[in-house]
Amino acid sequence: MTAQKEQGSLRRVNASVDEVARSLVGRFQTNRGVRRMLVLVVVAFALFAALRPGVYLSTLNLQNIAVAAPEIGVLAIAQMLAMLTGGIDLSIVAVANLTAITISTLYTAAGSRGDALGPVFILIGLVVALVGGLVNGLLVSRVGITPILATLATMQIFNGLAVVWTGGRTLYGAPRVLTGVGNATVGGIPVLFIALLLVAAGIGILINRTALGHKIQLQGANPTAAAYSGISSRRTLLGTYVMTGLLGGIAGMLFIARNPTASADYGASYTLLVIVIAVLGGTNPNGGFATVTGVVLAALTLQIVSSGFNAMRWSPYQYAVAQGLILIVVMVSDQVHLRRRRRGTPPALPVGPATPPTPV
Amino acid sequence: MSESEAPVLEVSDIVKTFGGVRALAGVSLSLKPGTVHCLAGENGCGKSTLIKIISGVERPDSGRIVVAGTEHDRMTPSGAMDAGIQVIYQDFSLFGNLTAAENIVLTGEVAAHRALYSRRRARPAAERIVRELGIKLDLEEDVERLSVADKQLTAICRALVHDARILIMDEPTTALTRTEVQRLFAVVRQLTERGVALLFVSHKLDEVLQVAQTVTILRNGSHVLTAPAAELDGASIGRYMTGHDIDESRQVVRLPADASAVLEVRDLTLPGAYRDVSFTLHRGEILGLTGLLGSGRSEIAESLFGVLPARSGTITVDGQDCTIRSIDDAVAAGIGYVPEDRLTQGLFMDASIADNIIASSLDAYRRRPSRLLDRRRIAETITSLFGRLRIKAPNVSSPVRSLSGGNAQRVVLAKWLATKPKVLILNGPTVGVDVGSKSEILQILRQEAADGRGVLIVSDDVPELVAVCHRVLVIRQGQVVQELEGDGVDLETIQRTMAA
Amino acid sequence: MSARLMALRGSNNEGVLAAVLVVLIVAMSLVSPSFFTVGTLFAVIRSSIVPVIFALAVLIVIISGGIDVSFAAIAIFAAYTTVKLSGAGGSTASLVVLTLLALGIGAVLGLVNGGLIARFRLPTLIVTLGTQSVFKGALLAYIGSRYIAALPPSMDRAGKHDLVTAHSGGSPVSVSLMVLVPVLLTVFVWWLLRNTMFGRGVYAIGGDTEAARRAGFRVIRSQLLVYVLVGMLAAAGGVVYVILGRNANPQDLVGSELDIIAAVVLGGASIFGGRGSVGGTLLGVLLVQLINNSLLLVGVPTAWQRAAVGLLLVIGVGVQAAAAKRSRKRVFAHEDLEVAR
Repeated sequence: MTAQKEQGSLRRVNASVDEVARSLVGRFQTNRGVRRMLVLVVVAFALFAALRPGVYLSTLNLQNIAVAAPEIGVLAIAQMLAMLTGGIDLSIVAVANLTAITISTLYTAAGSRGDALGPVFILIGLVVALVGGLVNGLLVSRVGITPILATLATMQIFNGLAVVWTGGRTLYGAPRVLTGVGNATVGGIPVLFIALLLVAAGIGILINRTALGHKIQLQGANPTAAAYSGISSRRTLLGTYVMTGLLGGIAGMLFIARNPTASADYGASYTLLVIVIAVLGGTNPNGGFATVTGVVLAALTLQIVSSGFNAMRWSPYQYAVAQGLILIVVMVSDQVHLRRRRRGTPPALPVGPATPPTPV
Repeated sequence: MSESEAPVLEVSDIVKTFGGVRALAGVSLSLKPGTVHCLAGENGCGKSTLIKIISGVERPDSGRIVVAGTEHDRMTPSGAMDAGIQVIYQDFSLFGNLTAAENIVLTGEVAAHRALYSRRRARPAAERIVRELGIKLDLEEDVERLSVADKQLTAICRALVHDARILIMDEPTTALTRTEVQRLFAVVRQLTERGVALLFVSHKLDEVLQVAQTVTILRNGSHVLTAPAAELDGASIGRYMTGHDIDESRQVVRLPADASAVLEVRDLTLPGAYRDVSFTLHRGEILGLTGLLGSGRSEIAESLFGVLPARSGTITVDGQDCTIRSIDDAVAAGIGYVPEDRLTQGLFMDASIADNIIASSLDAYRRRPSRLLDRRRIAETITSLFGRLRIKAPNVSSPVRSLSGGNAQRVVLAKWLATKPKVLILNGPTVGVDVGSKSEILQILRQEAADGRGVLIVSDDVPELVAVCHRVLVIRQGQVVQELEGDGVDLETIQRTMAA
Repeated sequence: MSARLMALRGSNNEGVLAAVLVVLIVAMSLVSPSFFTVGTLFAVIRSSIVPVIFALAVLIVIISGGIDVSFAAIAIFAAYTTVKLSGAGGSTASLVVLTLLALGIGAVLGLVNGGLIARFRLPTLIVTLGTQSVFKGALLAYIGSRYIAALPPSMDRAGKHDLVTAHSGGSPVSVSLMVLVPVLLTVFVWWLLRNTMFGRGVYAIGGDTEAARRAGFRVIRSQLLVYVLVGMLAAAGGVVYVILGRNANPQDLVGSELDIIAAVVLGGASIFGGRGSVGGTLLGVLLVQLINNSLLLVGVPTAWQRAAVGLLLVIGVGVQAAAAKRSRKRVFAHEDLEVAR
């Protein structure tokens, strides 16, 4: 190697010092998913604002968007975490409902002392969610059941328990702590929306700035290499599903804060919706890549579209069609984009036929 | 087999470019029926691309493919099969969920464009081929339950049931034990008697030279030489493959007499893999562990790293008794492991170099009490390792996928060095690494040992072991059969002991 | 395990499943005298008619290495649209014409799934979640959201015929002629998977897609065909469902997908593809239906059914996962012996 080249590579090493920090903190700034979502948010908003400015741009409508988006946003962030490890959590909506039902039941049972004991009930509700997440985590990490099947089963179980518990009826009543939060605004911004931003920031920090977050990403990127790097899949997966359970619980709190009712089949369409949001926000369903910013923007977009459909007096069925179409179009365009990029680059490491990674 | 027979396959002047990179620059090859031809070259020389072109998986930019006198200007996978070309890939491309009989028959049925499948027709066809080759194979067993050698036999039968005239085998001996290799060669001789032309693709030549009549060597996508196997030996082939004499002179610094033991292994046993293995690795020492494939050398390494826990015996790291039941245990004890299968076990291909480097040491950067990662210290670690291992990449946020084999291996090494391991185990440290990179990696290992680590190299690349190891243990049939030290570490002795 | 025991167990644990069924039947007979009757038998059969058809569809996709959660949406889309297009109670179309129309609709919707999955190689769960939403939304938004009480006369008549009638506990019980549909389809799918190159190709693709491509299977075409077939089977299930229910409600069926998938997985099909059998699937469906019926008989409220199926699924796949872990270890020990020799 010549001295000149040596110097060049030294300079590159030096330049890379700055890069390190950037790559660790803020990959999301240059991410395709985020850029796309920014465009989509603006386009969707502008479209409906132009079609129905009177209805759409009213403070009421804007606040409605800001109040409705948080619960699906939090659920979508939970789904994103599960997908980041290469898994999926179909049970989060059921977990959220269990939390809401727990809080509502306890509140009603406590009668006049219900409001005073509100915080305790919320805590108990979150513990229920945590236990739900723990069950998922144990099934996935210890028993070794594929996430899709494990959470499919627990979804049935949690939902079944909720049906049994409520007898299929809708429960009314929620502690004033929650309903108060549900109606409050700070500087015109609903507190619920601020809650979403706080959750998003928390998970953003978890993913990008903690050891567990990095392990979750690596586990999703290549489970075999993660095992060989001394990353315990048991602990990582357990942590992930406990976290998704907890986020489900927080979403349940948001359900009941927005609307003081709870039932077993609230948010029946959310299971699909949060997967749509997670994928739309740039989450790789095969694991290894996701950004919180993208997911929050995607949640906003879908809420904007949903309320736009409302403003246009289009039916919820048409919204269902739109939802499915958005998901499919985004996935197809991602795939086309990916293929175009792959075609341009030569195979970096000439090796034998690719063997699929075997789980260890 | 007669020398004058017309070639059954002739490829000439094959050129293939991938996104501006020339993978093959005018390669020619000719195969005669009833002979074994070996296609040799280092990883990345274009061997795989050439067989993909012959089998119709890739299309060449230019060049001619003539099979039995017929020119094919647009070869397709099914066209290749119709022409009698069969490829047995390294992973065999078998269906683990189907029985051996079905695997043998199915491809042929597809090629015959059948609509219906009949077990009653399939079974005798598979039995016939097994009988003709004089081998034993449980045809009703699901393939995923067969041993590697039996899987290979299944793949060979599958190729033959389809009347293959040309059989291409990609690294056929890699995963076989010695006896299995001999059994394979017996089958190969059967095949040549039937007039089949075989093309062995390999980078391990000593075994292949036993059966090949002709050798073609590629380097960097170019044709270097075609010559009768009898005129070549290991050294000359190595020279042609790499383009220069390999500088693997022995450079070993003497250990201080009082070097303390960093790893002590006593009576380690895993039934079926190895037994009663005992050795000591000292601080600053590089210890080689060698043996043929299937001798148990890899299993010993995997046991020390907790992938394949030993049944009995003791492991002591730095004076502390360790129970190693899992990878976590091994990492906690201060053991690092660079696996042989770098791509699936060592690297996160789409993650950045930086993320790969800190993958094993994440917990060490947690700040108290926030438990957040200390980004400054992470950056320091990454930068220092990036420089120290001279990883050639634009910057540390480039994805590992964009790196060459040698640089990717340095990233795996960096990942473990970041954990500051007491013991570093490397399984095949220079497999798939180009020559220039190889000597640099060996130099890095010397350096790391000199810094006070114990380094254990598991490899069958004997010249490499001679070049760096203080001591070499030879494993045969699961047992340490010889320990060589100092000047006793020498190429011929090791090779003789390994194969004895 | 000895070879004979192994054979009894079946390649996908069918034997184990059958044993569980027998144990359950014996136990229930002891617990509840009203269990071991023709009435219960017929009830289980009646409630299995539609699920078996759907389960066959799901089985094929799962063997091919995918998953389809849109089949229920396809089923009701095809059946409801057929009823509506034909003019409902005023229709004069024959049953054959109506069925062909429904199958055609099912095939087209299946083609949409297959096209997206095979052409763009997208994850099947997410694609079918999306198309499920599109199909159901389109049905309700553009075709009709109202319950239709009067079926075309030809369909209505088909639902009135009974195959067998018997007396149980003093009251007559019967099984509809429609039971022949799942029986015939079961035989057809069994034959298709076992004795056609397409069927073996589905196993091959599910086992290893890349190897299947190298072996010359036309992977894209097979995948397309798989989803078209699933669409048609789903449509058939939808028609039978409508006939048995004597009405067409566009809100029906969607939401029951997971029960079917659970039954197929319980029946030994591997969610990773390449494994699964028609026999196991039948047993899986029967087990789920039997448990639902048993719960009713022992007085457990229907509300528990959902949780019970979930629990059954956890136990079923949990046992499979544990067995897989153990066999992975065994495979290694086996290879070790090879090494030592």
